[in-house]
Amino acid sequence: MTADSLLLVLVFFPLAGSLLALGAGYQPRLCRWVSLILSLMQMALISLLFFLDLQPHSGPTGTWLLAVDYPWLEGIGARFSLGLDGLSLLLLWLTAFLTVISVLISWTAINLKVGLFHFFLLFLEGCLMGLFMATDLLLFYLFWEIQLIPMFFLLGIWGHARRIYAAVKFVLFTFGGSLFMLIALLVLYVLHGHQTGEYTFSLYQLSQTPLSPTVEGWLYAAFLLAFAVKIPLVPLHTWLPDAHTEAPTAGSVDLAGLLLKTGFYAFFRFAFPLFPGAAQASIPLLLALGLVGMFYAAWIALAQTDIKRLVAYSSIGHMGLMVLALGIWNLMALSGSLLQLFNHGISTSALFVMVGMLDERLGSRNFQDMGGLWQQMPVFSAFFLFFALSSMGLPGLNNFVGEILILLGAFQIRPLIAVLAFVGVLLTVIYILRMVQDSLFGESRRVQPLRDVTPREVLILAVMALPVLYIGLHPGPVLRLFESSLQVMWGQFPMLARSLGG
Amino acid sequence: MTLNIPSFNLASIGPWITLSIFAIAILLADALSPKGNRTAAPLLALAGLAVAGFQTISLWGKNGLDFARMVYVDNFSLFFYMVFILGTALTVLISLQYLKDYGKNLAEYYALLLFATVGMMLMAAGAHLIMIFLGLEVMSIAVYVLAGLFREDARSNEAALKYLVLGAFASAFLLFGMAMLYGAAGGTLFLNDLPGRLTAGFKPLTLLAIALLVVGFGFKVASVPFHMWTPDVYEGAPTSVTAFMAVGVKTAAFAAFARVFFLAFPTLMPDWTMVLWVLAVATMTLGNVVAIAQTNIKRMLAYSSIAHAGYLLVALVAANQLGAVSLMYYLLAYTLMNLGAFGVVILVGRKKDSYLSIYDYAGLGAQHPALAAAMALFMFALAGIPPTAGFVGKFYIFSAAVKAGYIWLAIIGVMNSVVSVYYYLRITVLMYMKPAEADLGPINFAPAVTATLLLTAAGVVLIGVFPGFLYNLALNSVKIFPGL
Amino acid sequence: MLINYLPILIYMLIAVGLLGVIVLLSELLGKKTHTVQKDIPYECGMDPIGDARSRYTVRFYIIAMFFIVFDIEAIFLYPWGVVFKPLGWFGLVEMGVFIAILAVGLAYVWGKGALEWE
Repeated sequence: MTADSLLLVLVFFPLAGSLLALGAGYQPRLCRWVSLILSLMQMALISLLFFLDLQPHSGPTGTWLLAVDYPWLEGIGARFSLGLDGLSLLLLWLTAFLTVISVLISWTAINLKVGLFHFFLLFLEGCLMGLFMATDLLLFYLFWEIQLIPMFFLLGIWGHARRIYAAVKFVLFTFGGSLFMLIALLVLYVLHGHQTGEYTFSLYQLSQTPLSPTVEGWLYAAFLLAFAVKIPLVPLHTWLPDAHTEAPTAGSVDLAGLLLKTGFYAFFRFAFPLFPGAAQASIPLLLALGLVGMFYAAWIALAQTDIKRLVAYSSIGHMGLMVLALGIWNLMALSGSLLQLFNHGISTSALFVMVGMLDERLGSRNFQDMGGLWQQMPVFSAFFLFFALSSMGLPGLNNFVGEILILLGAFQIRPLIAVLAFVGVLLTVIYILRMVQDSLFGESRRVQPLRDVTPREVLILAVMALPVLYIGLHPGPVLRLFESSLQVMWGQFPMLARSLGG
Repeated sequence: MTLNIPSFNLASIGPWITLSIFAIAILLADALSPKGNRTAAPLLALAGLAVAGFQTISLWGKNGLDFARMVYVDNFSLFFYMVFILGTALTVLISLQYLKDYGKNLAEYYALLLFATVGMMLMAAGAHLIMIFLGLEVMSIAVYVLAGLFREDARSNEAALKYLVLGAFASAFLLFGMAMLYGAAGGTLFLNDLPGRLTAGFKPLTLLAIALLVVGFGFKVASVPFHMWTPDVYEGAPTSVTAFMAVGVKTAAFAAFARVFFLAFPTLMPDWTMVLWVLAVATMTLGNVVAIAQTNIKRMLAYSSIAHAGYLLVALVAANQLGAVSLMYYLLAYTLMNLGAFGVVILVGRKKDSYLSIYDYAGLGAQHPALAAAMALFMFALAGIPPTAGFVGKFYIFSAAVKAGYIWLAIIGVMNSVVSVYYYLRITVLMYMKPAEADLGPINFAPAVTATLLLTAAGVVLIGVFPGFLYNLALNSVKIFPGL
Repeated sequence: MLINYLPILIYMLIAVGLLGVIVLLSELLGKKTHTVQKDIPYECGMDPIGDARSRYTVRFYIIAMFFIVFDIEAIFLYPWGVVFKPLGWFGLVEMGVFIAILAVGLAYVWGKGALEWE
């Protein structure tokens, strides 16, 4: 039993735990505690990995901090192989952390089919664990598709009024996109098999397949389509506001904090190394899509009257900036972008949590029913301001570090793009401030007083504020994690480094 | 005068003999025992299937011909024997309570199921086109009668009549094709001899023969444009018979289809793959698109079965080893998930199929969570979402298509899968996210049906997560096709 | 090859041509008188007017089916009788199985009461 086997535990512990939660479902209180303890254990396990002083080492599936590789679909050549690097590790931690948060915020909000709810939460956690570590493309695809199921139910059963529409739209968009990825995957698999005689889905081996530019372009386009739906990039984003608006708070947290990350992660981990030539050719497209995303999201966000929809559009804007950083492709911008991946997961989730709390009290998410909240709920409002400032990139808080790295990286090679991106970031400030203005300050239009946050809610918010402050004040260790991750990646995929620069 | 009696070994058709004897025994036991005592028939049927299963396993690994080169004894046919036996056994299990509720728990039903199974085995093992035709007729005649089991029900009558008339047409086409082939091949219908005879000249007649065979098999597998009978027959026939038709008849027809085309016409592959390409696309597309509009669950499953015939045709078009393997794997997976789904339909339908609208599934998740979970699993499996057997099957099929160079076919198949997600998902949405219009009332969980659901659900997940064993079995079986 | 079938084609052409000529000739040369009786469809001397849906009891059909089954049995027995010696024991056993299967059928219909007229 080596440390490598720990990866299997990381995937299967939450999956097994989900069944336990389902079994405890007859007793809602018991089920909540079981889920909380299980998700805390998972988080502790992952936190442990930070202290293990792991060093990258090479194996048959590439260079990873930890890796496992078992036969799975014999005859086809698919293997059950997982690999862990700095980026995966941080995303795993984020997944575990947000699962704990999701369990906590659902403590009183979810009273229907409690067992099933926690089953899906933990099941989703397990799928994401596998997704963030898979180094076999078919295994990755498997996790990528399975995660739809729990999310579909979370949206569809515990969502708001138009939940079914939102859930079906979500599934059809993402399933449709990812099936094109499956075809591209199969084509790549067959081409590689024809050339080398060895049929495999290993990322490491497939990345060495020489492809003609036309074929590479088509395959890359199919991957891009699948991931762009999930990220989401602007023309394919329409499922997201609906899904967020209708989702229960825990669903929004998982959606914004984790599912959107899978699209970006997959883009970075798979699409670029597999098709470096096409990725390089797509840089103008990525820059354009990123900028369009930022401006479009800001523009639409300014027109929102529903606070949850506003936060959802801010998500699209943030993801736009990260995609833009992919197009810049230097160490600084990429580190910033990967850091943003984590930051956005924390800050936006926190905003969704707070919007959920507000919705529970107010019974409305409309700005017209808000205003003057600061007088009635000072603690809540202080936290809300804190996370809003974090989301718009106040220096000293987490988003600032990521955004400034991306912008500095962009200035080094594409100053014009950097200026435009800077304008985009400024627009974020405008709509976030407007959100704060309209909700916390001004005249209160309510007669009844509102209850301030309960101790449980304070705990949740305080816990979520810690990483915000930590990264804002001391981002060094996390950035070093990415740096080593990126170096390993460039060493591992020489074609990628040659096309795009290392 | 001397007559040459060919040497033969009865053991090579052991499963057929066993099933025939048990079917006869069921009929005799029913006719000669006092009225009203019908518990023996299903038990006898299950016992016969078990014995046949053991015989099949003991034959495994044999490779050859018997009965004057009329019958193949090879792993390809034995694999399908097992699928048929499994499908029939599960059908027996889901039928029991259902037929009792209708007052139609007749011994003849079980005997006919066994006879139909014998016909299917003949189709999978026939080494001569006449044998395949005989098998087709033995199977079809039994199923015609089964479809009309509810004599007093006009819909059941309609189903039986439609199936009989159109089935007879299909048989005629098949027979006509065989006659053409007989002429084209210079007087032989042995599958082993055909490739050698068909290489030289006289192509128009051969092509006509192939076209007619495609029509004949196309009817039986319910492929567009020969699918017209499917929705009406599936809807009208007793639900358990519908399940049997959807899995058994289709599997047998595909087994014969694959055997004949892979073995006899490898040299003409460019010609028939082109035709099947078009049929596959039309079948998938029509099945999935029309299924969206259905509100009767049996009709929806009928169109879904048409769509699945389309996916399976993709495996035939691929015409490579992986294609044949994927065909076998998918037929087994399809047997499991479809029988499971029909089991749920029977339970939810309750006494005399009172609840067959898809809206009767609303609120099922709240009132009968286990049943709803099973149905959701089967729906996800039919839609091809991992980690179910449906996903692995579709994955194999599309890989085979891509491997053979049919990328567009794979893309069309994939787009069809997206369409299909919509109507499979709708059942799940109804079960979990819509409240019931009224209290659904109790559901009679007959032990046999419950056992079937457990078995099929476990099977769907198990062979979806660990497909390696089956893959190797199937790969081992398709070695008999030298042309692939 | 297709050319081998040429005689058949010629034969068919002659047959069709001859028939056509005969029909045409009788049409041209024959004398035609129309009466009510003559214009009624010919049906073996039966009165063609009346309810087409006359019903027989279903038992006739059942008996007819039994008759066909055992008729066919008899037809199979004749050729077997001709080659009885060369086939030997094998033939005897085979025919025994065949007759046994039919006997089972008889037992079944008997047991089901299909042979009782009332």
